[in-house]
Amino acid sequence: MTEQVLGPAIEVVGLTKAFKNFLALDNLTLTIPRASVGLLGANGAGKTTLIRTLLGLSRPTRGSAKVVGYDTESQGTLLREHVGYMPEADALPMATTAADFVAHMAEMSGLPTRQARQRAADVLYQVGLAEERYRLIKGFSTGMRQRVKLAQSIVHDPDLVFLDEPTAGMDPQGREEMLELVERIYRTLGISVVFSSHILEDIERVCDYVVILDAGKLVTSRPLGNRDEMVTEIIVQIDGGVEPFARALEGQGLEVVVDAIDLGRDEFIVTLADQGVYDLVRDLAVHQAAGLRSIRPRARSLEDIYLDDVEAAREAHNE
Amino acid sequence: MSSVNPVPVVPPERYGEVFDRGYAHYDGPRLGRRQAVRSLVDYSVKRAMGIRKSWTAKVVPFLLYVAVLIPVIAMIGIDALVPDFNFSSYTTYVNWTLVIVGIFVAMAAPEMICVDRRERTLPLYFSRAISRGDYVNAKVIAVTLLTTTMTVLPLVILWLGRQLSADGVWKAIQDNIGDLGRALGVGFLIAGTLGVLGLAVSSLTDRKAVAMTIFIIGFLVLQALAESSVRLLVEDYEWSRYLILISPPQVLLAIASAAFDDATLDPDSLPELVDLNLWVYVAYAIGLMTLCVLFLRWRYSPRDDA
Repeated sequence: MTEQVLGPAIEVVGLTKAFKNFLALDNLTLTIPRASVGLLGANGAGKTTLIRTLLGLSRPTRGSAKVVGYDTESQGTLLREHVGYMPEADALPMATTAADFVAHMAEMSGLPTRQARQRAADVLYQVGLAEERYRLIKGFSTGMRQRVKLAQSIVHDPDLVFLDEPTAGMDPQGREEMLELVERIYRTLGISVVFSSHILEDIERVCDYVVILDAGKLVTSRPLGNRDEMVTEIIVQIDGGVEPFARALEGQGLEVVVDAIDLGRDEFIVTLADQGVYDLVRDLAVHQAAGLRSIRPRARSLEDIYLDDVEAAREAHNE
Repeated sequence: MSSVNPVPVVPPERYGEVFDRGYAHYDGPRLGRRQAVRSLVDYSVKRAMGIRKSWTAKVVPFLLYVAVLIPVIAMIGIDALVPDFNFSSYTTYVNWTLVIVGIFVAMAAPEMICVDRRERTLPLYFSRAISRGDYVNAKVIAVTLLTTTMTVLPLVILWLGRQLSADGVWKAIQDNIGDLGRALGVGFLIAGTLGVLGLAVSSLTDRKAVAMTIFIIGFLVLQALAESSVRLLVEDYEWSRYLILISPPQVLLAIASAAFDDATLDPDSLPELVDLNLWVYVAYAIGLMTLCVLFLRWRYSPRDDA
């Protein structure tokens, strides 16, 4: 394995991309590990511009970037032998069979003809198009076309694949199948993934690292995998009166929220200031002879992280 | 009581195998840009010829190939039957078939370029192991190679036919080997100039029909412009002879006429009328090709909206 293969997937330093009257990427600096990475942001946040810049399809106004160890500007051709790209928009020749096109794209990444045809057949099998591979693409459904785009992006066995809104325009079943395929690319095939989407559920389902962009700025870049780090509150369930027990906890200096919309009548939220909070709740229940039924962590969803971090970033920017 | 014969035990025939179709990582050779360009040339040529497409896509290219070969067969046949008639002539052949080659390029070049833009395949290509310059080079090679088969091949067949129908074949080959070189050169210049011009025109639009129409109408207009301006001015102004350069097809015909020097064009035709030096035409054709390639490179240079 080369040094490139062992380093981080992406290293970006001061990356800025300005259009005529619009700053698409604003001084981004980040390092992304080899993982299944969600690139999250609202429409117009700069996700597609970042992907295009990282692929060398668009020149940065300022700054530099390395993808799988290759500089995007000086080693663009070499870099593109080792990455795959699935664009959001339709990008397939209609009058060609899936097998021919995917094999052609493998050759375009430098694979010899025989190996390219063999891998095209294998990869189309992997994405569930084994039977249909000799049909013209113009006869394919949206979901099948998305699969062909996915197949061409991994046919040359890249180290990293950029997937730009792979579930866009798909029906619920097709979306579900596409997410399963994307999940497999990293977990089973071992190919790092950068999954661009504005759908939080998709990112949360497939990724274990998230990069959030807002108006071209980096909001956060963090792992999603460690659920313990995301637990900031606990939900306490007791038999009997919630109010007196909650007031007693407040008396101990804890922050308590009663009547949260998403909880039952016998539940309330306690902020997890430290791990000692669990002991405090237990001891108070014993002291008050309250029936403590459960204490469970309340993890922050990706939506919570997104909303909190984006809001914080916007406030910081306004200041 | 009937006895039961023992049935001989034979091993069952192998009726199937279990294959592991799991994903395998690729650790074979990666041939880089050279392989990518080769693949793009191959794919472009096949697409223009309708190979691996429906049969309807193959009909027109096939008919055009037949159309450029018919004059060759007629020339060789008549020469063989009536040797003194001296029917076959390279320049006459080029004169007869230049329009067919033009129509072929008007169909092939848009097929190679417009479809990639229209179907938005370009971002996929540019995300692979090629530069934008490689993409342009591959398309130029593809259209030139393909058109060369239409211009050089018949001329070579004609040359061969003429030698074989001569009295002393070996001596005829030795005497006329220069014509073979001229046939290759003229064929290549016609293919290159028309092909690259076709690509340059096609790069202006993503609609094949529009590109084809611009190419054909453009040539007709330039032809009429060159004809009228030269004929109007040639008697009074020496410089007006150079106005033939307005029309690329006339320049290509003039190259054939001047290279083969077989004086078979109508004395009133434009190339005969202006009678410029062969190298003026050749330099012009090479300059035109260079300009077109530079234009294509500019068209495919990185843009923020690409």
